[in-house]
Amino acid sequence: MNFFCLGINHRTAPLETREKLWFSEKEIQSVVPSLRQKQINDCVLVSTCNRTELYYTTREGSANGEPLWKRLAEHKQAVGAVREEHLYSIPSLNAVKHLFNVASGIDSMVLGDIQIVSQIRDAYAIARSLSATGAVTNRIFDTALRVAKRARTETEISEGAVSLSYAAAELSSKIFSDLSKRTALLIGSGETGKLTAKHLVGKNIGTLLLANRTRQHAEDLAALLRGRVVDFDRIAAELEAVDIVISSVDAPSYILSEQDLRRAMKLRGARPLFIIDIGVPRNIDPAANSIESVFLHNLDTLNFVIGKNLRRRASEVPKIRRIILGELIQFNRWHASLEANPTIEELRGRLEEIRRQEVEHHLRRFSPDERREIDVLTKRIVNKILHTPTINLKNGSDTHQTLRDKISLVRHLFGLDRRNSG
Amino acid sequence: MKLPIILCEIALPLLYFATIWVYARAFFSNIRPAERLSTPLLFATLLTHGFYIVMRTAELRHPPITSVFEIFSLMAFTVTLVYACIEWRLKIKSTGYFILILPFFFQLVSSIFIREVSEVPPILQSNLLGFHVSSALLGYAAITISAVYGFLYLMLYHEIKFSRFGVVYKRLPNLEMLERMSFTATLFGFIFLTIAIIAGIVWLPRITQEVSYTDPKLFGTFVIWLIYGAGLAAKRLRHWQGRRMMVLSVFGFATAMFSMTVINIFLSGFHKFY
Repeated sequence: MNFFCLGINHRTAPLETREKLWFSEKEIQSVVPSLRQKQINDCVLVSTCNRTELYYTTREGSANGEPLWKRLAEHKQAVGAVREEHLYSIPSLNAVKHLFNVASGIDSMVLGDIQIVSQIRDAYAIARSLSATGAVTNRIFDTALRVAKRARTETEISEGAVSLSYAAAELSSKIFSDLSKRTALLIGSGETGKLTAKHLVGKNIGTLLLANRTRQHAEDLAALLRGRVVDFDRIAAELEAVDIVISSVDAPSYILSEQDLRRAMKLRGARPLFIIDIGVPRNIDPAANSIESVFLHNLDTLNFVIGKNLRRRASEVPKIRRIILGELIQFNRWHASLEANPTIEELRGRLEEIRRQEVEHHLRRFSPDERREIDVLTKRIVNKILHTPTINLKNGSDTHQTLRDKISLVRHLFGLDRRNSG
Repeated sequence: MKLPIILCEIALPLLYFATIWVYARAFFSNIRPAERLSTPLLFATLLTHGFYIVMRTAELRHPPITSVFEIFSLMAFTVTLVYACIEWRLKIKSTGYFILILPFFFQLVSSIFIREVSEVPPILQSNLLGFHVSSALLGYAAITISAVYGFLYLMLYHEIKFSRFGVVYKRLPNLEMLERMSFTATLFGFIFLTIAIIAGIVWLPRITQEVSYTDPKLFGTFVIWLIYGAGLAAKRLRHWQGRRMMVLSVFGFATAMFSMTVINIFLSGFHKFY
């Protein structure tokens, strides 16, 4: 099969090399037509932070010439920084399989990360808008997007949080069903804490409060996340009204004691209080977890959740491999059935020729109106005769050998080879 | 007895088993086709059971309350009915397995042992008594479901609190939702128990002279009604919620089961018919 993948990813090159070959949407739109000027026919360029991959078909007799990777590197003025050993080239059906692996998320840096699907979809859309894809490439990418959808809906490959901030947000959603009615308090401005707060904002948290020893830091973050600043000294007093606390402070001792939380819980009744302590050393007295309706978790819990989710995702990989295998078999059958196209065309041409000759031979016996009717009628007969053999030749369920035998039989029966050679 | 009734008695335990099996597959293995099939199968089971009750009532010319095994079947139906209402209302299927296992056992025992009672006392043929018993059963079915949700809440509560993130954590809805489901079921239960008590106190003396307000079952039901009433009042007035309410729900159910068992086995009164 004339289909290839040339790529660079997190396994073959470090970030500083990968970023040299990163193409923006605008750059893709300019590089695709220039690549097609020489060796390449179809061309889809996928570029993300972890990989840049060029899926392409070549023109016949275009094996020689400047290596493609060099042309890509030249386009980004990265020759020297990017070397041949950073890239991989995958031919034929293996390239198709590779694309399916990428689309399903099992080739991602974080297993099951399926953000790549939208990037593949965008790259494919750009290629189509530039008329840079043909029937085979279209079929491959449509199937890849279907594989991605099936992986997402039929398996749990992308389920469960695999980053600290997502794990914290996921835990909170196991306690509260409607975050829009909840209040979260972010104490400190540690990176993970900020990301967790961002995820909560993304999940439509009702109110976000921010407290920091340096008030200006809290105000800056509040402006970014549309939160409200509270005094750092008043965090214990705020506990009565908040439902989620994310603490990420660099402090030598606990900033909230068990007593603080007991007092707060007395005022709160039995309303659950979810606390994520991301500080090292810990910010909240761990004894507070013994208080009813207080759920206190720390980095260990989050890492445990992430580990568990990653193991769960890994256990889904065999299911996805089965989906990919099934789609590959179907694709291969379809592709093999394309071999029948020239024979079908020749057969159609042969029958059309016979029809035309016979109609012309007897045409003088009929009036002009009758001639038109005869023309339509005989064409319909030919089409009906050809319908079943065409379906049978293109049904896609034959093995490669059976299909070849069928093609050879049809050519022999209708004398297509003899006619060509004659 | 008519063939459709006998066929239903054979089919119902099988249907309940198939339903809980599908719900179990959806819960433990997250099989999508099982999840899609679960609700239609639940409603098919419910319809078959409804058809069976109507057929039996029509054929035997009395409501199906004349033996313990008829009551078991009615209990299975009411638990399933209340669960179906909650699933339909809240669109959450992941708790079905834990609830439907109860009607399966009720119906299995009923189907194995149910016989046609040869002489039915006139009082048990009363449709008004049928209404009273049906309301009471709906009430008990609802508080049973409320307790199951309470129990699931407590399981999930402990999984989250002590960082044991197992299948319960993975599949169950969140704590707030479980609490809502338990509360909805409690509310159903309280309303139906109230109707049953009113029907019992006000209407039944018109039918029989044997009514006694010191009857142990009447007293037991009233105590249970008070416990749930107090719980609802505490939620409304004292803003009780979370684990405390769930413990109360499980406690209320345990009290109800204990009281009903003790009363039925050891005490006698006009309420004891078989």
